[in-house]
Amino acid sequence: MKIIEILTNIDRRIIYLILLIVVVLPLIFPSVEKVRVMPPVEKLYYAIDTIPPEKAVIVDFDYEPQTAPELDPMGFAILRHVFKRRIKLLVLSLYVQPLGLAQNALTQVIEEFNSAAKTNADSIIYGRDYVFLGWVPPPIIPILGMGESITGVYTVDYYGNQTDTLPLMEEITNYNDVGLLVSLSGSDIPKYWIAYAQSRFGLPVGAGITAVSASEFYPYLQTGQFSGMLVGMKGGAEYEEMVERTLKIKSRRKASEALLSLTYAHIVMILFIVIGNIGYFAKRRKK
Amino acid sequence: MKRTFPLILVFVFGILGIIPFFVPHPVVQNADEFLRNEFLRILVAFALVLGLGSLLKVHIDKIKRKRENWQYSWILIISFLISAIIGLFGGVGGTGILPTTIGSFQFDIWTIYWNVVMPLGSTMFALLAFFMASAAYRAFRARSTEATLLLAAAFVVMLGVLPLGDRISPHLPSFAQWIMDVPNVAGQRGILFGVALGALATALKIILGIERSWLGGGRE
Amino acid sequence: MNISGDPWIWISALMSLAIFSFLYRDNPFYRFAEHIFVGVANGWAVTFYWHNVLSPSLFNPLFRQGNLYYILPFVVGMLYFTRFIPRVSWLVRIPIGLYMGYWIGVSIPSTLQAYIIKQVQGTILTTQNFQAWNSGSMGVVWSVILLIGVMCTIAYFFFSREHKGALGIASRIGIIFVMVGFGAAFGYTVMARISLLIGRLQFLLGPWLGIID
Repeated sequence: MKIIEILTNIDRRIIYLILLIVVVLPLIFPSVEKVRVMPPVEKLYYAIDTIPPEKAVIVDFDYEPQTAPELDPMGFAILRHVFKRRIKLLVLSLYVQPLGLAQNALTQVIEEFNSAAKTNADSIIYGRDYVFLGWVPPPIIPILGMGESITGVYTVDYYGNQTDTLPLMEEITNYNDVGLLVSLSGSDIPKYWIAYAQSRFGLPVGAGITAVSASEFYPYLQTGQFSGMLVGMKGGAEYEEMVERTLKIKSRRKASEALLSLTYAHIVMILFIVIGNIGYFAKRRKK
Repeated sequence: MKRTFPLILVFVFGILGIIPFFVPHPVVQNADEFLRNEFLRILVAFALVLGLGSLLKVHIDKIKRKRENWQYSWILIISFLISAIIGLFGGVGGTGILPTTIGSFQFDIWTIYWNVVMPLGSTMFALLAFFMASAAYRAFRARSTEATLLLAAAFVVMLGVLPLGDRISPHLPSFAQWIMDVPNVAGQRGILFGVALGALATALKIILGIERSWLGGGRE
Repeated sequence: MNISGDPWIWISALMSLAIFSFLYRDNPFYRFAEHIFVGVANGWAVTFYWHNVLSPSLFNPLFRQGNLYYILPFVVGMLYFTRFIPRVSWLVRIPIGLYMGYWIGVSIPSTLQAYIIKQVQGTILTTQNFQAWNSGSMGVVWSVILLIGVMCTIAYFFFSREHKGALGIASRIGIIFVMVGFGAAFGYTVMARISLLIGRLQFLLGPWLGIID
């Protein structure tokens, strides 16, 4: 049939154009989609929420700019959660590229909080409420070294301050003073934290990962090695939803805004696959 | 000697890596920390320089022998030199001996990173969406029962993970989640066991000197 | 529409479009941008390794402060460069062997603990695993399916015997689980790739062209 011939021989550039249009239009005419929060995200949320007040959370920013669209929304939402609950926070990166992304996230979220703060106690103060430890290569050094002493590994922080002079670091010595580590990564880094820090020092680990790695990381969620997990842009949108719903923080929900584009793109992908298969079966039948 | 000494080193340092996991005594832990912080950390930095040297050697060779597209190798080398000079002499925060501002135009290393490295890297990854669409259209065929199963699971997950899935059926997101939690975990775990056991076996073979391919070829 | 006047935004946008031009076909703009990326990324990396690692950890303590025990890592690190001198290139095996040996040693007990023992614990039928599903009595069913799935997947990858009889049946069941897992992985991969495209388009439509917020 001629129509099937046409449909099964679409030039690849037409496919690219169709995909581009269905992704661009919802960005130009946006709407925030409501999302259902799934159990892995809830687990991570409550793992952070129930950290004892004397313990800190470590957020490991380990994604490169290439994967920032998926992981940035998670990072922002987690920082908002941690600062709203006034949980002690340490931020680090195991590689050099994510440093800029970590600093960008901290700067933006802290600006949101401090612009609404009325007193010093309300504000987020560096050294008292959070410390940006920076980067010490190779990854194995901080992963193993922080089990003994965090200031022993990070003698100076990202800004060049001696870490043992910061008030927060007088209370946080090593992993025994850390309630949870959340690793935001586009690669295998969360597995390194499990293998080297959790198996040796018993550190609880949560993960924010790209959707590509989801399938591979679910076994670690099932065993409880991950205290919770955020997957891709949808995971970021779910965490944004939880933060807004439970903590009443109204802020820009970048992941949620992109969900409509994602939805249309998925529908188009499914249509392409179905059309391709229709043509395939039609040709097979002809033979 | 040229092969034996490195093999002995691998064995000794391998044992030095294993022991601290089982011996919590402060002497052992402190020695381990010293080895990592004062020695191995510095070695890694040299390894990067080596990688860089190899990259530059390949492109210099390409220019010398005028291989295909050799002109682009000049672009790579020049852009490397410019960014390295700006970074090394301009400093990380633009605080070095080389000025990195002309009027209001900044060109310190972080500005270059955010406006050159970041967009280029991101766009290369963004291209994959188009290639995936084209490949799925051309090659993703339900040729067999297994392939049909794969397709069906893919469709359920693609629809179930988004709000659209909820609108199609309130059970669809839960079903997609179940697929991730049970059959996916089963399949991935089976593969994971194979990979982990294989990695362990290779690691032991390297430490014990049975696997020697890392030494490189030749009789030396 | 509020097109940006910032020269750096324009540089970013033009670089992005140069890479996107590959979708039409391979062209000089794409190759130019690709080579710039590799060159600048490496120049950037060199900066940080010098300022954050080599300078404070080696050159300052050794050459400025005179801490002589850094001579050993310095000398061993320099052995990496013997790779370029054919007569003594075997010396590069020393720093490689050293670092790789330590790394492998550290990874052996960790791999065993995290990737094998813990994963086996998550597979076997225990009340803890039944309850972890939060599905009441269905937790038992899911755990049994999981155990069967893992065993059959391992059976599928066992190539020392022909897949006949019981092993054949087990491997057929195993491949079903593997295919479902790969299908789920593909579904999520689609989401991942589209997300990255959305990120780039948000930049081009936002900061560059000013069409969106």
